[in-house]
Amino acid sequence: MKKKSVKWWTYHVLVGGFAILMLYPFIWLLMSSFKESSTIFVTAKSLIPDPWIWTNFVEGWKGIGGNSFGVFIKNTVILVALTLVGQVVSSTLVAYGFARLQFRGKAFWFAIMMVTLMLPGEVVMIPQYIIFAKLEWLNSLKPLVIPAYFGTPFFIFLIVQFIRTIPRELDEAAIIDGCNTFNIFYKIILPLIKPALATAAIFSFYWTWDALLGPVLYLNSPAKYTVSMALNMFLSNETVSNWGAMFAMSVVTLVPVFVIFFLFQRYIVEGMSTSGLKG
Amino acid sequence: MKKWKGILASAMLVSSLAACSGGNETSSGSSGSEKADKDEKITLRMAWWGSQPRHDYTLEIIEMYEEKNPNVNIEAEYASWDDYWKKMAPQAAANELPDIIQMDLSYFSQYAENKQLADLTPYVDKQINTKDINENVIDGGKLGDKLYGINAGVNVLGFNYDPETLKKAGVDSLSEDWTWDDYRDLAKKAADAGIFVDTGMKSDVFFNYYLRTLGKSLYSKDGTSLGYEDDKLFEDFFSMTSGLVKDKAVPTPDYLAQLKGIEDDPVVTQKAIGIWQWSNQFVGIQQVAKRPMEIHGMPGPDSDKGLYLKPSMFWSVSNNSKHKEEAAKFVDFLINDIEVNKLTLGDRGVPGSSTVKDELKPLLAPEQQQVFDYVEWAEKNSSAFDGPDPIGAGEVIELMDSLSEQMSYGNLKVKDAAKQFRQQAESILSQNK
Amino acid sequence: MSSPVVRENVQGEVYVPSAKARKRALKQDLTGYAFISPFVIGFFAFTLIPIIMSLYLSFTNYNLFAPPKWIGLENYKKMFTADPRYWQSLKVTLIYVFAGVPLRLGFALLIAMMLNTASRAVGFYRSLFYLPSLIGGSVAVAIMWRNIFGDEGIVNIALSFLGIPGVRWFGDPTAAIWMLIFLSVWQFGSSMLIFLAGLKSIPKSYYEAASVDGANAWQKFIKITLPMLSPVILFNTVMQTIAAFMTFVPAFIISKGTGGPMDGTLLYSLYLYLQGFEFFNMGYANAMAWIMLIIVGILTAIIFASSKLWVHYEADGGK
Repeated sequence: MKKKSVKWWTYHVLVGGFAILMLYPFIWLLMSSFKESSTIFVTAKSLIPDPWIWTNFVEGWKGIGGNSFGVFIKNTVILVALTLVGQVVSSTLVAYGFARLQFRGKAFWFAIMMVTLMLPGEVVMIPQYIIFAKLEWLNSLKPLVIPAYFGTPFFIFLIVQFIRTIPRELDEAAIIDGCNTFNIFYKIILPLIKPALATAAIFSFYWTWDALLGPVLYLNSPAKYTVSMALNMFLSNETVSNWGAMFAMSVVTLVPVFVIFFLFQRYIVEGMSTSGLKG
Repeated sequence: MKKWKGILASAMLVSSLAACSGGNETSSGSSGSEKADKDEKITLRMAWWGSQPRHDYTLEIIEMYEEKNPNVNIEAEYASWDDYWKKMAPQAAANELPDIIQMDLSYFSQYAENKQLADLTPYVDKQINTKDINENVIDGGKLGDKLYGINAGVNVLGFNYDPETLKKAGVDSLSEDWTWDDYRDLAKKAADAGIFVDTGMKSDVFFNYYLRTLGKSLYSKDGTSLGYEDDKLFEDFFSMTSGLVKDKAVPTPDYLAQLKGIEDDPVVTQKAIGIWQWSNQFVGIQQVAKRPMEIHGMPGPDSDKGLYLKPSMFWSVSNNSKHKEEAAKFVDFLINDIEVNKLTLGDRGVPGSSTVKDELKPLLAPEQQQVFDYVEWAEKNSSAFDGPDPIGAGEVIELMDSLSEQMSYGNLKVKDAAKQFRQQAESILSQNK
Repeated sequence: MSSPVVRENVQGEVYVPSAKARKRALKQDLTGYAFISPFVIGFFAFTLIPIIMSLYLSFTNYNLFAPPKWIGLENYKKMFTADPRYWQSLKVTLIYVFAGVPLRLGFALLIAMMLNTASRAVGFYRSLFYLPSLIGGSVAVAIMWRNIFGDEGIVNIALSFLGIPGVRWFGDPTAAIWMLIFLSVWQFGSSMLIFLAGLKSIPKSYYEAASVDGANAWQKFIKITLPMLSPVILFNTVMQTIAAFMTFVPAFIISKGTGGPMDGTLLYSLYLYLQGFEFFNMGYANAMAWIMLIIVGILTAIIFASSKLWVHYEADGGK
């Protein structure tokens, strides 16, 4: 008993201490949001604000040009929700095709998918922009959301790798039971790859939430802007930047991401243990 | 090779056709009809970069204009500096630029020479009234004989310093007609007192100033080569700047790289006497420092040959605009309307119109007053602007910054840097031939 | 390019095509394409044309605003023979990839293993460790990093405790790239999460069986954890390698967009961006992108080829 307690302590001191070290920059960000804008950098070395002020949050929430920060959060939530559903659903379908089904040209398409990952976005950006302009999709969510419904290579590959850890005997047993391909996918595979799906959902949420380039290119009306664009608008290259408001709203925008992470990470933990495969 | 080209060209053709088929039937929003009727509803897109106060007052200006012109609807598209230019490039590539664009000098040639901006000459003295504006100021927006932008205001180079910190170096005041030798003396005194004299000079801007005092310039008139022949000038200027870093009178580049904003600038924290910058930046540093500061002219000899009125930014009309005339009317409103300028208060540079300037004076805060005074002084003590930087200047500037950094660390001899700079800069600029 | 998926095609193929077999093959094809159809359609709709255009533009002089001019191989020639900054950016990027990816993955795996216990606090720790990755590439990060690596920042203080003299992270080009590597290691959350999901997918019964056989922790790690986790390790290695080559935002924000000091943080993507969008040499930027594609493609192919030796797929009957 005594021995175990030493082990317990070592674990928590080690892991907990390390977590705090990793978190220092975040704590700094949080504390800075309670400091007066002009003193943030001058007092960067001391963590504790003196005095504590709330005005950064009030100022920041007022937003920019008549749009409160709540508008930007609402825009981002809509964008994220539409994107997340599209990316996860379509990527799961495609991944199942690649991981489990036999068909001609599979290797070819898989290779194509990997190649699309290797070309930097900066060079396909302009031609893509021209296409979306021709489609008259500019200044709308369409160029950001619609492509999400056609599979995202990162998630496809991720889910492929997870499906491939599932023994094939399960499928075979299901076929004997009379399941068709879709039923195998839906009833056998889907429940078993919950951790991968939860992971994909977390990434999709966060990456869309944080994305800057796409919204910058395709959204022109400030009333449609997302939080990452709004945060940049607190900064100025010519005059005084409103650092306080920027930090305060950075903290605010982290809250939904953190909550989503906290909710979804449970599914990663549960995964196998609740689905009861092989014990 | 030829064959490949053919295949690619046909792929391009197919691709552009495929892309077109999506939506050619109707056009929406801004791209409406051709000629503007009096009562016809017109939508203009207007884009600018800036900070929160600028967004707020510009939106107010738009409202004022819409009230006076009920048939005009103006869609505002504003963003931060970085995001703004990320938006502009693809919009230009897709012929989707907003009708009215706030344009910066550093991108001016790139957009103007590639026919993205409309020539405003036909609108001058019809829709756009320029009679109150100094000709030098208007000419700043010219490339060749075409006018691609109306100057929104002017900035002038200067030394912004804190008189208190100056005293720490044992100097009471700077003389009106100081020279580079006086500057070096001051630097030495600062270093002896354990403070910096300044935070360094942005290499392209101040080297160009130095060249101008000697009757030369950084770029040749046609923009196809460098504007000075003798590398000794390069050596003289950068021996001075890198020497000051070596003597600890000016901080090293890595010290400067660690600064986060103007809030921890050495001038504000009283570790440096002054900062070399454009007049519009004075207000910001003064607000952060919360102490009286001064603007001082540039070191001579011949500082009046070196100084010039720099267009702070332009109002341009895009070439793909369907309503150029209406856009021009709005530009006129922006630069000439008194009420508009009372809201702007010189945030976009000191206005070019003398009438506007006189109206604004009583409304200015003390630090804004200092800027206006300095620009007024400079109007009489400066020479003509060389015109916008040529295409490729961005690359040349980065080259110079990088060489200047290496010289500051003593990693590169000034003589070698001068040769390298000439060779590489000439190769970049020769593409404009 | 070889991929792991190719292998299983061979399984159970019918080599004498009877009419029935052909019909079955067609049905298989149809089902397969039905599942991957979103990707295939999306590829033709949004990706193929831009890729072809990008390849075409790499042989042109294109400044974004005026029509591209065909110049053949000029861009590629300039890249390899007349542009020292190109080689510098390649060098910096290779350091970043080959030092950063193993460090980040090793770190992520270590933390994931530590958090893969049944302790109640684990959910909390997991969230804490993921927080740095949530802050992302905002300006706030750049400012924190300037603080941490400053002359009197926490890193130099820590180093001085170890008796190492302060490093001028912002002045020494060989040190500067390590700031970016540290940043990437610090934001290890996404790799950690994927490892964790992989660890959670290993059936507990395997470990129980091993315990019965008297295996110790190390043996379990080598015999069960590593092989069972290998598909996920492969995924992380491939994706992190590709992502590392594409890294742009951290270099951009920390160097204030210059790649300094003295091009010490001029990552490939940053240089590509500068060429395309600051210097308006979009043709050249496209040529750079295609060389990058070839480099990353070869590396990925090597990783995939090697995976036959070390990746264990339960689906293939535990080969």
